[in-house]
Amino acid sequence: MCLSIALGLGFGLSYLALVDRGLFGTFRLGPWVAWTGVGSPEPDPYTRAYISRSRALQLARAEGIRFIASHDSAGQALERECTYRIAGSTPVSSFWTLFAVDNAFRIISREGTPLAMNSQRLARANDGAALIRVGPDLNAENWLEIEGRGNYRLVLTLYDSSIFSGFGSLVEVLPTILREAC
Amino acid sequence: MLRITLWALAGLVLGIIIHVGIILSLPALARDDVWSRVSALENRDRFVVLEDVAAGEANPFELDPEILYAVCRINLEAAPGAVSGRLPDAFWTVSVFDATGRAVYGTTNRSGIGQILQLGIFNPAQTRLLAEQQLDITEGLLIVESRLDDVFVIIRLAPPHPAVRSRFRSELSGLNCGNA
Repeated sequence: MCLSIALGLGFGLSYLALVDRGLFGTFRLGPWVAWTGVGSPEPDPYTRAYISRSRALQLARAEGIRFIASHDSAGQALERECTYRIAGSTPVSSFWTLFAVDNAFRIISREGTPLAMNSQRLARANDGAALIRVGPDLNAENWLEIEGRGNYRLVLTLYDSSIFSGFGSLVEVLPTILREAC
Repeated sequence: MLRITLWALAGLVLGIIIHVGIILSLPALARDDVWSRVSALENRDRFVVLEDVAAGEANPFELDPEILYAVCRINLEAAPGAVSGRLPDAFWTVSVFDATGRAVYGTTNRSGIGQILQLGIFNPAQTRLLAEQQLDITEGLLIVESRLDDVFVIIRLAPPHPAVRSRFRSELSGLNCGNA
């Protein structure tokens, strides 16, 4: 029993600590999670292990930060069969992008459609706000068309962002993800 | 009952020790890490522009599909590294990482660099020579110090429109990278 608990806890906790949602070393804002230390010159041990496990090209802190959401703002897992409304502002940044990936980080946009949204090519309201819909069904305004079945993740990357210049209004400035229809 | 509780507590403590061991040893034990993947690009002393990602295809570097990426590897043992060139008039960033994946430096063109990139990468011994003015450098050079000799440089470029992507790609491949 001792060994079962030790192995289960040791390996289980390590796995949970090193996935994108992480347990330690991550920063959470609503449904969005970011590993804030990946671009730091002195990352903490969990972030160093995450960097080794992910094997991805990370962003240095001055370049920007990447947020990943695997759940909507109500806490339900994102499903490819559903349409989500992404509304609200983003923190001040020179440029941002939004795209959808599966669990292996493959892009799940429908073939022949734009792979991502970016801040320079969005239809905006008069007040500057942009509304994005992500889902398989035809939508007006800014529509990121995805296909397939199962869960997925949204990746929001803020380049040259002021997000760490002050933490006061962060929760208000990252967009919400609301399920509209399935 | 007491015996079971003690065994459970022992399992808990041992589990935490295993967890800490995994977290601390993973960076040293990982064989297929970002450095090995970057090395496989055959980009020593030259920029390789990464292929665009496509829907449904593997994306091992977790690339952003809106961005063009150029990656170059440099070894600083014999001489400092130098990265230079003119970038297109669009948003871009440059970063330097060491072989462990640790960020050494990063900046964007919005920090006042403009379109001309001039970056010098030095190890601690070379930085000392630089401080003693025993190394000549060009004016306006961005100076970066890395503790490790093996580093890689990533340039990210955001084309404002898909139509300019191929032109930006060829401009990225024309940037200089290597030892000074």
